[in-house]
Amino acid sequence: MEKAAMMQTAQEMVESFVDLPTIPQVATRVIELLDRPGVELDEVADMILADQVLAARVIKMVNSPLYKPAHEIKSVKRALIYLGFRHIRELAFTCSFVDVFEGRDGILDIKSFWEHSFGVGVVSKIIAQRVRYPDTEKAYLVGIVHDIGEVFLSYYRQDAFRALLDSTHGHPFRLVEKEIEFLGTSHNEVGLCIAQKWNFPADYCEVIALHHAPEDATLDPTLCAIVNLADLFCCVRQLDYGGKSWVTFNLAEEKAWSILKSYAPHLADLDVERFCYELDDRVPEIEDMVRSIFQGIGA
Amino acid sequence: MALETKPIDVKAALKISDKDFEQLRDYIYNVCGIYFHSSKKYFLESRLARRLEATGCKSHGDYYQYVRAGMTGSTELKKLLDEITTNETCFFRNMPQLGALENKFLPEIVAAKSKIGFRKLRIWSAGSSSGEEAYTMAMILLEKRNALLKDWIIEIVGTDINETVIAQAKEGVYGSYSVRNTPDYYLKKYFKEESPGRFVLSPEVKKLASFNHLNLYDDNKMLFMKSFDFIFCANVLIYFDTASKSKVVQHFYNNLQPYGYFFVGQSESLHGVNDKFKTVHFPGGFTYNK
Repeated sequence: MEKAAMMQTAQEMVESFVDLPTIPQVATRVIELLDRPGVELDEVADMILADQVLAARVIKMVNSPLYKPAHEIKSVKRALIYLGFRHIRELAFTCSFVDVFEGRDGILDIKSFWEHSFGVGVVSKIIAQRVRYPDTEKAYLVGIVHDIGEVFLSYYRQDAFRALLDSTHGHPFRLVEKEIEFLGTSHNEVGLCIAQKWNFPADYCEVIALHHAPEDATLDPTLCAIVNLADLFCCVRQLDYGGKSWVTFNLAEEKAWSILKSYAPHLADLDVERFCYELDDRVPEIEDMVRSIFQGIGA
Repeated sequence: MALETKPIDVKAALKISDKDFEQLRDYIYNVCGIYFHSSKKYFLESRLARRLEATGCKSHGDYYQYVRAGMTGSTELKKLLDEITTNETCFFRNMPQLGALENKFLPEIVAAKSKIGFRKLRIWSAGSSSGEEAYTMAMILLEKRNALLKDWIIEIVGTDINETVIAQAKEGVYGSYSVRNTPDYYLKKYFKEESPGRFVLSPEVKKLASFNHLNLYDDNKMLFMKSFDFIFCANVLIYFDTASKSKVVQHFYNNLQPYGYFFVGQSESLHGVNDKFKTVHFPGGFTYNK
């Protein structure tokens, strides 16, 4: 299907979404802060403290196994000291983003969405570190937001989405291809429209639009390839929307793999098997982190 | 006076530190190619308790030094591997693998072979032990007999170096532990519980598989194991040193059809053993093809 037609369909679809949430101000501010040099630690602390729900979430999450503090951290200030500047921004962004999807359980439930999204965030960061991509924090954040289109598609187009999943029963499939077949567009285009509405930076938009086609990326193909691979790995290592997506892939044939190998030739020696087993070990941490976001915080 | 066997008190077992666990995990992975997930830490801890007692090592760190001091394939390493892989065999052991096989790899191969009009499927369970893996395949394929595999010839071969387990496989009688993962549907359809805890496999399943003695080191005999569509070899290569592993895996590579798949155990890896095989990922695992 023509790209322009798919984009057109997505635009019309997003316009028709009733009560599409707006992005929380605090998330926009964190994104702004990401690219601004010379940001002070206090500025971030103030921003977090100004929002009590956000502050509580930050503390919950910093105590989850993913961040492994030796002792319980009870204040935002301690969290800042423990995590350091870069990580606290990651955390603040993630926490501020949680509300956007609240109550949007569609055919895909929000918990599975978060597990997949966090998974892709964490794995993107690991891959970014392995290939020595300079901004691992950005890799983490774009990993988290890469599938925003999916939540809204599965929420606002429940009948079509259910039909799509029913049609795949017992067969391997890639969601994106099925979406095009059933909806005339995919979560990539829908996600892009939403990201543009929310004024996401251009390189974030590119990843959202092209995380299944990194070879078409022009701004940052490496970043798109990182997220693409992280997405594939998550889909085969239990962070797969509760088993609703069913993917197989041969790494050697993936374009993202070629892109990353030319970016970082040492990647050819990666012990892929061990990499997968190590990811399995991270899964409970990611699940705990998602639990920690939703537990015990009055919404 | 009767000799008393001392059971292992798991609670009293020495706690393994994260550092010792990681050290042993990395050692076992590097030498044997089997990965111990963090979730298996306590399992490893309880199994190691026996080895610590037997070797007189006072700590996991001491034991790590002890097992490392032996050559690759040393007696202690073998004993350790026996401890950690014991009782691994059962029917329907690796569900993600079976799911992928049923949904993707089998239909794919059937389609490829149908095109050239060759309706024969050959499967090899290398290191078949008492036959659970081979018979699991037999049951899955029997279920396809009326549709996907109508009029197909199916050959399942199980091989092992141990004659005792081959005899058990041929007999086809199992205890409750072997069938613990078997879905009810299969248990009712293909087993008969002759007496409590004694499950006898139905003749139609047994008919599909044959079992033979084979030493995977035996180059001459390995040359005759030709044209397989699927080869399974779970928790066998872990006992081999790298050079032998490479040689055996090369045989598997040669004996596999161009579109065939080679499966290893759930936590195993061929990294550094063979660079010809390509890794194909599926939910919950991976397999190798040419």
